Amino acid sequence: MHTMQEFLAHTKGLCYIVAGVFLVAFIPFWLSLTEREQKD
Amino acid sequence: MTQLERPAGRMLTPFNVIAGLILAGGAVIALIRFVCGLSAVTNLSHYNPWGLWIGFDVMTGVALAAGGFVISAAVYLFGLKEYHPIVRPAILTAFLGYALVVVGLLFDLGRPWRLPYPFIVRAGPTSALFEVALCVALYLTTLFVEFTPAVFEWLGMRIWRKVVVSLTIALTIFGVVLSTMHQSSLGALYLVTPTKLHPLWYSPYIPVQFFVSAVAAGLSMVIFESMLSHRAFSDRAEISHEQLDGLTIGLSKGAAVVLAIYFAIKMLGITLEDKWHHLTTPMGGWFLVEILGFVLLPCILFLIGYRERKPGLIRFTALVTVIGIILNRLNVSLFAFNWDLPPESRYVPHWMEIWITVSIVTLGVVVFRWIVNRMPILHEHPNFKGMH
Amino acid sequence: MTISRRTFLGGVATGAGLMLTGTAEAAGSKHFPGYPGRYGLLHDTTLCVGCRSCEAGCQEVNGLPPLETPTEDKSVFDKKRGTTDKAFTVVNRYDGGDADKPPVYRKQQCMHCNEPCCESVCFVGAFTKTPEGPVLYDPSICVGCRYCVMVCPYYALGYEYDEPVTPRVMRCTMCYPRIKKGLNPGCADACPTGAITFGKREDLIKVARERIRKQPDRYIDHIYGEHEFGGASWMVLAGVPFGQLDLHEGATHTPIPEMGSGFLSVVPLIVSIYPGLLAGIYAFTKRKEKLARLSKEAAVAETLAAAEEETKKKLADAAKRAAKEKESAIASAVKKALAEARDAGGDEDSKEGAK
Repeated sequence: MHTMQEFLAHTKGLCYIVAGVFLVAFIPFWLSLTEREQKD
Repeated sequence: MTQLERPAGRMLTPFNVIAGLILAGGAVIALIRFVCGLSAVTNLSHYNPWGLWIGFDVMTGVALAAGGFVISAAVYLFGLKEYHPIVRPAILTAFLGYALVVVGLLFDLGRPWRLPYPFIVRAGPTSALFEVALCVALYLTTLFVEFTPAVFEWLGMRIWRKVVVSLTIALTIFGVVLSTMHQSSLGALYLVTPTKLHPLWYSPYIPVQFFVSAVAAGLSMVIFESMLSHRAFSDRAEISHEQLDGLTIGLSKGAAVVLAIYFAIKMLGITLEDKWHHLTTPMGGWFLVEILGFVLLPCILFLIGYRERKPGLIRFTALVTVIGIILNRLNVSLFAFNWDLPPESRYVPHWMEIWITVSIVTLGVVVFRWIVNRMPILHEHPNFKGMH
Repeated sequence: MTISRRTFLGGVATGAGLMLTGTAEAAGSKHFPGYPGRYGLLHDTTLCVGCRSCEAGCQEVNGLPPLETPTEDKSVFDKKRGTTDKAFTVVNRYDGGDADKPPVYRKQQCMHCNEPCCESVCFVGAFTKTPEGPVLYDPSICVGCRYCVMVCPYYALGYEYDEPVTPRVMRCTMCYPRIKKGLNPGCADACPTGAITFGKREDLIKVARERIRKQPDRYIDHIYGEHEFGGASWMVLAGVPFGQLDLHEGATHTPIPEMGSGFLSVVPLIVSIYPGLLAGIYAFTKRKEKLARLSKEAAVAETLAAAEEETKKKLADAAKRAAKEKESAIASAVKKALAEARDAGGDEDSKEGAK
C-alpha cells in the first residue's frame, strides 16, 4: 500500500461489505431472540 | 349534443392547463438537453459544475422528503399512535420526493444511463457520493415498499398487503438507518471542499447539521403538506380539522426542539474553528439572516405556537422553516460555494434549468393528486378499516 | 500454585494491551510515502516569460484544437484564464500591483497530487494515481456526476458540456503515454527557458532546494507542492509569495481526502448501532403499551370485581331483608291465626258455658 487512497479504498470497501452482512444478519438474530416471547 | 358542443369537461381546469404547459415546456427542454448537451440548457461551467439541479432538485429535495422516516419512526417505533393518519401522506410525499430527486439527477448527469455503474462495474467506496447513491437507491426502494399497502388496498390484493404490512417495523428501522446515513452524507460531500466553501458554512459538523436540519425539514413539510392536502382534498380527508390541528400542535413541539438543537450545533461549529470574526463581513451578515431569521426565529415561533396552541402560527412557521432549509441548501451548494471567485466566474441558473426544476415539482404535485384521488391515503379503505 | 483473580485479570488486560499496541497501524498513525521513483515536474516561475509555448505544445501533443488566442497576442493576459475542456493548461500573468516589479507568469494545470481529491471522490473509481506519478482518468466508466470537477482545489478539471451523450472530464494527463516511452511531457519539451523541468519527484525536490540555496535573494525559501494538501507531482518555485500567484499559500499538509474520510468511517457505526437501538426502542414502546394495557385491564377487572362484590352484597342484603320480611309476615300471620283461633275458642267456650 503506497498511498493513503489505496489503503482507504481497500478498508472502506471491506467495511461496506461487513456492515451489509451485519445488517442482514441482524434480522434472524432479532427474530430468534424474540420468537419465544409471549404474544399478546 | 354535437361534438362541438361537448363540454370541456373536468380536464381543463386552470391548474391542469398551467401544469400541462409547464410539463410540455419541460419535455422540450429535456429534448434539447439530450440533443445539444448540457451547455445548451444550463449555465454550468468548469468552475461551477454543480448548479440548480444539484443544489435544489437533489440536495433540497432530499432534505424536504425527510418527513417519511420521521413520522413512520414516531408512529411505529416510538408508539405515537395518534399520528397514524398522517403516516401514509408523509410516506407518499417522501416517496415522490425521492423519485423526483432521481429524475432531476437523470437530467444533470453527463451519462445518466451509467447511474448503476458504481454498483455493477466498479465502486468508489472512499467517496461520500457512493454512500449517498447507495443509500438513496435503497431508501427509494424502501419507501416504495412502504407505499404499496395503499396500492394493494386499492387493488383488493389482500395477501400481498398482509405480507408487506408484516414488514412495517423492519422497513421503518431500515428507513431510519438509511435516512441518517444519506442525509448526513449529502453534507459530507462538502467536507472535501475546504478551500471553496465559505468558512461560516464549512464545518467538520456539516454532516450532523444536514441530518438535524433534515429532521426539522421533514416535520415542517408534514405540517405544511397536511394543511394543503386537507384543504385541497377536504372531501377525502378522514380526520377532522380539529384533529389535524391537534396533530399539528404536537408536531410543533418536536420541531421546536430539533431547531434548537440545530441552532446549537451551528453555533458550536463556528466556535470550534474560531470563526466568529467572519460574522462582521457581508457573507457573515447573510449567514446571520439564515440562522437568526430562518432557524432561531421559527424555533421560538414553534415554541409559542405550541404553548398557546395556535395551529395557524405553527403552519406559518413551518413554511418559514421550509424556506430556511431551501436557503441553507442553496447557500451551501451555490452561494457560499466559490464565494470568493470573481463575479464573472460565479453561477446563476439558466432559465431553462429553473423551468426543468419547476416541471419536476409540478410533476410531483400532479402524481400526488392522482394517487390521493384514487388510493386510501387520506382516508381508510372501507374494506380494510381498523386493520392497521 | 493458585493465581488470584486480580492477578489473572491484570494479566489478561496487559496481554490485550500489548496485542493492541503491537498492531496499531491504523491509517491515523501511519504515513504513506507514495510510489517510490515516481515522476514530477518543477515549475520555476522566475524563469517563465509568458511565451505560452507550453500551451501550444500541449494542444499539439494531445490533439486538441489550436490555441484560441495566438502566442503573440499578449492581451490574452489581461484576464485570468482557467483550464477548460479544450485547453489542459494555461499561463496567467500576475502583476502583484507593484509597478517596479516585473510581472510574474505561472503555468496552471492538473497538479497530479500525491493523494488526489478527484480519485477519492469518484464514486465509480474512474481516477487512478499511477505508480509513475500521473493521475489518470477512465472515460469508459465515468457517469458524468462532475464531483471531481467540483472538489479540485486547483480548478484543474474541465468538462465537455457541449457533448450531449459522450461528455468527458478533460484535464492534463502528464502525457502518460509519452513518459511511458521515455519521452518528456509536451509542455516540458516546448518550454524554451527551462521554466519546466521533468524528472523524478525526489530528484526535483533536491534540484529546487539547490536553486534556493544558490540564489536566496531570487527565491522564496519554499517549494510549493512539496507538502501542501499532502503534496503534488507539480512543484512551484517563485520569487513572490505563492498567495499572489493564486496558489493556496499556507495550506495544511493534510491531504484533502483525509478531511472527508473521518466522517465516512462513522457511517458503518450507524449500520451497526441503529438496528439494535431502534429495535430496542420498539420493544420498549411495545412493553410500555402492554403494561399500560395490562394495568388498564387490571383496573377494569378490579372495578368489575368491586361492582360484582357490591351487587352480591346488595343481593345478599335484599335476600336477608326479604327473608326477614317473610319471617315477620309469617310471624304476624301465625299470630293472627292464633289470635283467631283463640277468639274462636273463646266463642266456643262461652257457647259451652251457656249450655
